[in-house]
Amino acid sequence: MLLDLHTHSVASDDSRATVEQYIKWVNVLRRKGKSIDGFVLTEHRQFDHDKNYASLASDDGIIILKGAELDTDTGHFLVYGISEEITGELDFSDVNMSAQNLVDICDSYGGIAIPAHPGRAGIGFAEYLDGGVTGFETVKSVEQLNGSNRPGEGEKAESLIKAKGYLGTGGSDAHIVSAIGTCMTSFEKEIKNESDLVQELRRGRFTAVRLES
Amino acid sequence: MKKNLYFEDVEIGDDIGPIKRSVTDEDVIEFISVREKKITPSRFTSKEVANSEGLPEAIVPGPMNIALMAQVLTDWSDTVCLLKIDVVFRQTVPHNKGLTFSGIVTDKDETGGSTKLGCDVVMENSDEVKLVIGTGVISLPNKP
Repeated sequence: MLLDLHTHSVASDDSRATVEQYIKWVNVLRRKGKSIDGFVLTEHRQFDHDKNYASLASDDGIIILKGAELDTDTGHFLVYGISEEITGELDFSDVNMSAQNLVDICDSYGGIAIPAHPGRAGIGFAEYLDGGVTGFETVKSVEQLNGSNRPGEGEKAESLIKAKGYLGTGGSDAHIVSAIGTCMTSFEKEIKNESDLVQELRRGRFTAVRLES
Repeated sequence: MKKNLYFEDVEIGDDIGPIKRSVTDEDVIEFISVREKKITPSRFTSKEVANSEGLPEAIVPGPMNIALMAQVLTDWSDTVCLLKIDVVFRQTVPHNKGLTFSGIVTDKDETGGSTKLGCDVVMENSDEVKLVIGTGVISLPNKP
């Protein structure tokens, strides 16, 4: 099962794509013979419990799940399985929140936090580890493939994965319609909801993939 | 480049462009001089001023970048009518460096006789780093 784990809709201030447009584009990709089963909306610094894309998703057989991309003191993190407890414990708008606390809170309340684009300068996990940051023993995965990576960022992520023995996810980091699905995560098991997603990420039964050409 | 596209010729997923070009120092001065008769050194025209503001080199003004992004759509066909363009600046755009502008048709609105097309537009540097991204809405005429 192929899911794009990193996408932004117009709810994020730097995106120009609506969820409906993403759905339309996924169908375009499918008509062109590409495989993509769904995507996770990871809006910047926010999470809306009330938004529900289930009806949109079921109409087209596309899985649409919700997560978030949060700014922390150790770079950006993708968060999945966000519960009322997690949003109650953390201020998602805090651009300097403690990443270690984020990881611990997610571990405690059924979520998971994964470093996004870890090779990126300034906002990538690798740079902080290189700078001597320690801890994060429960982090087992990082975003290996990011569709918006700049030269060298992918290589830095690969080096980190090799050095630490991490697993790697994939996501497009789409901010416009046609970018969705360029990088994805291939899961062994079917994912129907956020709970399944967290479970499979924790079990490590996935690989990062690029959209086949 | 096709010069007379009609709405019926276009499908979602069709590529627009690409256009490859650079923006010279003279291009920027010409653009700014449309509004300012006397060009004063700024981050847009002077490397020294840009350096003093923490930029590595002089940069292309935002409105000029928007114009360049729009141009990839209007150059696609003589029949294009640009209705809207909305961009996000992801990185500064330097002078005198190779740039690639490209687009793709992402939506085709055929409701109520509409001939509107939604498009993504991207400006990349020679390393394929996206400097500016955006969306546009254009219309094309129906075939006579």
